[in-house]
Amino acid sequence: MTSLTWTRRRASVARFWRRYRRRRAGLYGLGALVLIALAALAAPLLVGGDVQSVTHAPGTALEPPSREFPLGTDQFGRSLSGLLLWGARVSLAVGLLAAALSVAIGTLIGVLAGHYGGWFATVAMRVTDWFLVMPSLVLAIVLATVMSRSMWTVILAIGITSWPTTARLVRAQTIAVESRPYIERAKALGGGHRHVMTRHVLPNVMPLVLSQTTLCISTAILTEATLAFLGLGDPTVVSWGGMLQDARETGAVSSGHWWYLAPPGIAIAVVALAFTLCGRAVESVLNPRLGAGR
Amino acid sequence: MVIMAPHRSLRLLLATGTVAASLLTTALAAGSPARAVAADGAAGADEGDGKTVLTVAVSQSVDSLSPFLAQRLVSTSLHRLTYEYLTNYDAKDARTIPGLATAWKPSPDKLTWTYTIRDDSTWSDGKPATAEDAAWTFTKMMTDENAATANGSFTANFEKVTAPDARTLVIKLKKPQATMTALDVPIVPKHVWEKVGDFSKFNNDKQFPIVGNGPFVITDYKVDQYVRLEPNKTFWRGAPAFDELVLRYYKDGDAAVAALRKGEVSFVPNLTPAQAASLKSAENIKVNDAPGRRFFALATNPGARSKDGKKFGSGHPALLDPAVRRALFHAVDRKTIVDKVFQGHAVEGEGYIPPRFGTYFWKPEGAQKIDYSPARAGQLLDKAGYRKNGSGKRVGKDGRPLDFRILCHATDPNDKAVGKYLQEWWGELGIGLKVDCLDNVSDPWLKGDYDLAFDGWSVNPDPDFVLSIHTCGALPATPKDTGATDNFICDKQYDELYAAQAVEYDPAARAGLVKRLQSRLYDTGYMNVMAYPNAVEAYRTDHIASITTMPAAGGNIYGQDGYWSWWSAKPAAEADGGGDSGSPARLWLVLGPAALVLLAAGVFAAVRRRTTADDRE
Repeated sequence: MTSLTWTRRRASVARFWRRYRRRRAGLYGLGALVLIALAALAAPLLVGGDVQSVTHAPGTALEPPSREFPLGTDQFGRSLSGLLLWGARVSLAVGLLAAALSVAIGTLIGVLAGHYGGWFATVAMRVTDWFLVMPSLVLAIVLATVMSRSMWTVILAIGITSWPTTARLVRAQTIAVESRPYIERAKALGGGHRHVMTRHVLPNVMPLVLSQTTLCISTAILTEATLAFLGLGDPTVVSWGGMLQDARETGAVSSGHWWYLAPPGIAIAVVALAFTLCGRAVESVLNPRLGAGR
Repeated sequence: MVIMAPHRSLRLLLATGTVAASLLTTALAAGSPARAVAADGAAGADEGDGKTVLTVAVSQSVDSLSPFLAQRLVSTSLHRLTYEYLTNYDAKDARTIPGLATAWKPSPDKLTWTYTIRDDSTWSDGKPATAEDAAWTFTKMMTDENAATANGSFTANFEKVTAPDARTLVIKLKKPQATMTALDVPIVPKHVWEKVGDFSKFNNDKQFPIVGNGPFVITDYKVDQYVRLEPNKTFWRGAPAFDELVLRYYKDGDAAVAALRKGEVSFVPNLTPAQAASLKSAENIKVNDAPGRRFFALATNPGARSKDGKKFGSGHPALLDPAVRRALFHAVDRKTIVDKVFQGHAVEGEGYIPPRFGTYFWKPEGAQKIDYSPARAGQLLDKAGYRKNGSGKRVGKDGRPLDFRILCHATDPNDKAVGKYLQEWWGELGIGLKVDCLDNVSDPWLKGDYDLAFDGWSVNPDPDFVLSIHTCGALPATPKDTGATDNFICDKQYDELYAAQAVEYDPAARAGLVKRLQSRLYDTGYMNVMAYPNAVEAYRTDHIASITTMPAAGGNIYGQDGYWSWWSAKPAAEADGGGDSGSPARLWLVLGPAALVLLAAGVFAAVRRRTTADDRE
């Protein structure tokens, strides 16, 4: 049985990839992501862990780009190109973890509300609505201010504020799935709540959750950068938003040190764009009606 | 399949927009072509109606406009400008000169001081300023605890203050007091202030103009937006030359510098090294780099306690061991901090009082000095029983590792930068450090919930106040109260020396005592001064023709010990459209595309969203 399942799964992955391959924008996005992810993973090998050290900084303060420092140096004399690579690790990690957290909360609440219905759904959806109408950036700022400054705080702040959309989507999909006859059959055969939710509903909302996650990541990365730029991140961790904040505090903007400001800003834009492109491609592959024309 | 609501993509666009917009605004502020005539009525030195306005960029919030409560530099500077003190400090060499009092004389036993009050000082509502006002101000501070919040240290030793006639003020002391010619207490008009009920709640910011007798009168104030002052035409020393003085708030240093470049403000204090370097080459802008009044120190929690003997807070017990504190300071390379963090715009820290106040400056010599020596720090820790364990961390005999927290001001880039260095220096010793950067450090500080903290005070020509904050008397009465104490230090020997200098009238003998006091403070090891940051500030020469620095030779402008800078500032004859240097244009070339890319990302997402909208259920 297992070999049969695996064959089927392999076939469906291959089918997915064949369709995905046809979307050029999606491929560009994926290519950019793979490159950035590889660079981030290989950062310790490429530039070494010493690049974050202020006491062993090789350069002088705010040097313009040169052969030794392709993107110049920051106010401590550290190489900005090295910091940019290290920043990718934090920005990607925060983006992925926050998106995962947000989608996990959203899926859990969505499936439960869709499955049980009744007063539980009413209460859960009103809470969702409440979070939905709250300006999420303001809420995230409040959370990040109240809690201690660390990377986990930022992840939590983003995750807690961005789950309601997923919850609503997943609930709708759950209701659609549960109205199908085979769910009725499963129930008639003695399937409990747990069985229905995990064996029948979850696999059917997974594609939706997957594309939602991909799209959530770019939002999360941008929110992380915004929070760090506003000075709410962990000042001892190098991230792209944090680099922008450092540049502003150093006075790089008014002093014309563009090499401190532009690279992190462009990096944030590129990664957010790449995730969006991938998310769109996944979305249209998984939804034939959406992708027919493209 | 049900697809997500359009709402999400809007948020993506918004989030993209936020980063792009913040980049854009800063870029705009820095890059747009200069324009001397500002659109806003309050800006620029030259206005359409010929009014000359001096605009000063500030970032520190006013804590209170009541002279009985105000402690921050911006508020006390405002009080210098709006109220006369009995005496003032000379701009040239900070010696005591007449203020509201024209002459003063102690009795032979030095316990009764008689001040002659000038007859040409009037309040801005027309009533004359008399000895009665001064007597009422001091008496209020002696009798009402709430009125003693800010300057209570000056009147704690007063027995009785009387005004036998309008021109004579008599102060009787319990014991001699060295600060009698440096009473930094604003004298307020009795006829206005006697109507005030609760001094702990009254912030003096409801009725404008605020009645005063200084060179300026506060005419308007909006929290964290601006403070507007007009010259006091009847000021006895002569009215200031500018028609208006505005303190305008810029919470972002770079925005203030951009405003200076454009001519929207005339003066910006607290520049970063990068800003100072780039402004040096700008047209019509003069950068002033002067020895500062401040010290920048590391404070260790000596075990927070109150006067009733109760201990509170969560300071690390290992810091009660003098060897640990000494080891920590041995591992701080003050020269690197001056060179790298302040980039030369500071003087290496030594004693407590900055070298600018030469009479009282003291520095440790020889064996007393805790110099930079990580090896010595390691030996000290080994000897004290904090040995490295398998993973290279120092652990005490109780098994608790040396992991400290340091309180840092989230708004101060220097705190964060030095925090990074400390993490690495102490990390090599096997000591962990967590840098806790908060917007509001006061809460954990007052509760004693810190191990170390970045600390700093502006020092007056008379050092009594900055010395008084380390005495046992300054501790809070109970753990719930707020004391004047800086760092919960309470040392018997220090208190004895403090009491001795406070009653010493001979300047040389007092200076000697103050130096011994600093030596004792240094030896307790609760405070270690890392640097004396310079005052780095810039002003537009096409707005301000001349301005007095203090001291006159190479002194600072913002936060002086008197009102000299703004009182003496002369407007420039004609403010012509100040051209800008080329660097912001180059900045635009890069920042423009960066912002565009960000915007494009958002727009792209939105467009993609919309094109698929029809297909969605």
